[in-house]
Amino acid sequence: MKRIVELIINGEPRDMTVDSCRSLLDALRDDVGLTGTKKGCDVGDCGACTVIVDGEPVNACLMLAVEAEGRTVETIEGLQPGVDVLHPLQDAFMRYGASQCGFCTPGILMMAKKLLDDNPRPTDEDIRFGLSGNICRCTGYTKIFDAIKAAAIEMEAARS
Amino acid sequence: MNMTTPIEKREFKIVGKSVRRDDVLEKVTGEAEYTGDVKLSGMLHGKIKRAAIAHARIKSIDVSKALAYPGVKAVLTHENVPRVLHYGSPHPRSASCTKDQFILDDRVRFWGEGVAAVAAISEEIADEALDLIEVEYEPLPAVFEPEDAAQPGAPLIHEVGPGGNLVLDPVRINRGDVEAGFAQADFVLEGTFSGGRPHPAYMEPNVCIADWDGSNKLTFWTSTQTSFMVRGILAEVLGLPLTKVRVLVDHMGGGFGAKQDLFQHEFLCALLAKETRRPVKMEFTRHETFVAGRSRHPCKIWLKQGFKNDGTLVARDMKLVYDSGAYGSHGPGVTIVGTTAATSLYRCENVRLEGRCVYTNTPINGAFRGYGVVQSYYALDIQMDEAAERLGMDPAELKLKNVVRAGDIAPSGHPILGHGLEICLQHGIDVLDWKKLRNRDRTPDPRHPHMRTGWGIGCEMHGSSAYPGIKEQGNATVKVNEDGTVTLLTGAAGLGTGAHTALAQIVGEELGVRFEDVGTIHGDTDVVPWDIGAFASHTTYLVGTAAKMAAGKVRAAVLDRAAMKLQVSAAEIDLSEGKVFVIGDPGRCMTVAEAMGPSRGIPAANIVANGTYEPTKSYSFAAHFAEVHVDTETGIVEVKRVIPVHDVGRVIHPIAAQGQIEGGIQQGIGHTLTEDYIIDKKTGRSLNAGLVDYKMPLSMDMPDIETIILEAAPDPGGPWGAKGVGEDPIIAIGPAIANAIHDAIGVRFHHYPITPEDILKALREKGA
Repeated sequence: MKRIVELIINGEPRDMTVDSCRSLLDALRDDVGLTGTKKGCDVGDCGACTVIVDGEPVNACLMLAVEAEGRTVETIEGLQPGVDVLHPLQDAFMRYGASQCGFCTPGILMMAKKLLDDNPRPTDEDIRFGLSGNICRCTGYTKIFDAIKAAAIEMEAARS
Repeated sequence: MNMTTPIEKREFKIVGKSVRRDDVLEKVTGEAEYTGDVKLSGMLHGKIKRAAIAHARIKSIDVSKALAYPGVKAVLTHENVPRVLHYGSPHPRSASCTKDQFILDDRVRFWGEGVAAVAAISEEIADEALDLIEVEYEPLPAVFEPEDAAQPGAPLIHEVGPGGNLVLDPVRINRGDVEAGFAQADFVLEGTFSGGRPHPAYMEPNVCIADWDGSNKLTFWTSTQTSFMVRGILAEVLGLPLTKVRVLVDHMGGGFGAKQDLFQHEFLCALLAKETRRPVKMEFTRHETFVAGRSRHPCKIWLKQGFKNDGTLVARDMKLVYDSGAYGSHGPGVTIVGTTAATSLYRCENVRLEGRCVYTNTPINGAFRGYGVVQSYYALDIQMDEAAERLGMDPAELKLKNVVRAGDIAPSGHPILGHGLEICLQHGIDVLDWKKLRNRDRTPDPRHPHMRTGWGIGCEMHGSSAYPGIKEQGNATVKVNEDGTVTLLTGAAGLGTGAHTALAQIVGEELGVRFEDVGTIHGDTDVVPWDIGAFASHTTYLVGTAAKMAAGKVRAAVLDRAAMKLQVSAAEIDLSEGKVFVIGDPGRCMTVAEAMGPSRGIPAANIVANGTYEPTKSYSFAAHFAEVHVDTETGIVEVKRVIPVHDVGRVIHPIAAQGQIEGGIQQGIGHTLTEDYIIDKKTGRSLNAGLVDYKMPLSMDMPDIETIILEAAPDPGGPWGAKGVGEDPIIAIGPAIANAIHDAIGVRFHHYPITPEDILKALREKGA
């Protein structure tokens, strides 16, 4: 059965016509055309499809598109604060080599954004725990930790 | 001592700098287009029906209900696809390949093998149609262990090959006189070792899209490390000239070696698209990446070595048996590379090696970072640690005494030119103050009385490029645009390592233009020069040298034109940062754009050059130092600290090189402690084909890694002495951890993964 779902994606009101069994991930990728969110497992194991729904990180593969009705969804395509302006996390990920194949990167960036929004001065343990649902198979995480720490410091400095 | 051929010395402007990679802006914004992101109008979705039996003959297959299902556009079975025996491991320039696969066969050789394929208007409909295909099987006796498969009278899995379920004739290497060596030995160590079935678990599941145009040309997007080999085998099997197959791959979500086969779904996708005359997409589920993907070859090793009381190694006798799974894939290559590698690492004049590779009714094993060598060096390095224990020596001292040195013959049969293992080992010993570590107070911390700490060392070496096993070459084309920017065309795949950035750095450096002015074109077999693929630490070493050669030719052509325009000889001018100037009179200058353009009666230039490089052989080296904490109550091993010391020759991009090492260590920790793709030995069924049950080290599990890269022993074959880096880290970390566990609890393990159950059982047996 098809349903029309009205929601806010990256600040823009959208409507999607979807099967009631369609995942938010498939709806974002195939119906809305936002392919930045990746499908690494489709069963909630890898975190590559992490998006932020009403302020909370969600595996988009585990949420039905119809559940997003009336809610606010943030994806990697909305992370940039403006045209030609990068989020400090995006900039740090480039400088620190935190992205290799890049397939986990959108999900990790969204999770890291949520982490820093909630906890602007995370400890190393906070960062490790915050990313425990995101699999990266290329980097050994070391450069990702470095990038998040650096972004946290820069964001803190920009605030003060 | 480090003896190397002199490498050109110069002040580098781009090489050695961690410039911003050319692919990362797209990756952090979500704009990077991976194969699965490509959407074509009218695109159908393909799915594969997989056998739920490990060995069987197909008696009948009825697709009538599936074909009649609304939305289904085509169904393929062994009855309506071309029957062409083909290679799985597409190394066209290697003698070691096995032709043992059909696109679809009337026979099933492992649980999960494809028996039919469906194209439908949606993934869901294709999935539902799979359930409507009725297959009747005649079960055949199956074998799941190489020792069972190698028994006389065991059921034969293939009719081709040398017989007895062997994938290739045994690889035998004899150097010196092993019996005479053992006769000189003061003591002999003998042991059996075994390795599990680690899976690469790249983040992007295999995916491809096929589209045929009106001229019967196939355009094929696929996540592959080896696009030209995909093109070659697709063309051969489908009976097409190479001009009628175009393979495209832009960004790739990892591969680690396993994405260099030509997979069954790739043929089926092309054939479904041909049948329906519509584009077809086929995307693996995560479950399928395990079942129908490729893993590392499980391996059993028997190793006997003779030592003198001064620690000299006098004889090595070794037998290795690799489990190929149901098809040959990389079995021959892995067996040859893994076996010949054991001629080296630790010096020994008398060596007898025998490597076998055996078919079993299990999922296919293929290429994976550390290709065959992870297995053989795990055994060699652990037994070296055991010899030190027997001698009452520090293992660091014994390893230092025995590691290969400059002038020694490499596994490839070549003398090694850039030789850095001794330097890496010594450097680690020095920075860690290893002797002090060995003699540390081992009294358990009273706050954690069950915890024991241990330190271990693992050594390795790995060749850059697969030469001479494969007659490789690196190719590159460089052209100068009229505005002075430069375009590099390369066939090398971008599987996430930053290789294209390194190539652009090399071109910019050699040519004398800014890094930002070099653009790279890749991933289109119709456009870029031929490349064998991104594997075996090939790209920076081989393609890098080819790119340097092409850039050098282009530079000479630009200088010639500028010399004419400046009315000086080419020897009097230099080119740097995009500007040509008279040496000693930098005011007389012009930009590359001005040199290119029409002026002073000289027409505009078209400057293009190719570089082709056929390698010698170079080796990279590493010594890993690892600290573990072993909880004797739970059996859990935690890796706390790793100090990897690598010799990679000239470093082109430091952060990218570190990233290769740290990611390799993550995978190696997994191999050694937690990762094993388990196949049920009664049915052949996969037991943990998913990312929860297949346990990889994640953010909470990673140790502190203090990477040290030494430009210890540049190799004259690579650009300014650069060597490979991708293969090495996964090899050295395994024995480092196993040796550290022994240091912590006094128990030797000869297998991986070493699980908490193994630790507890061993401690119980030891009576601790």
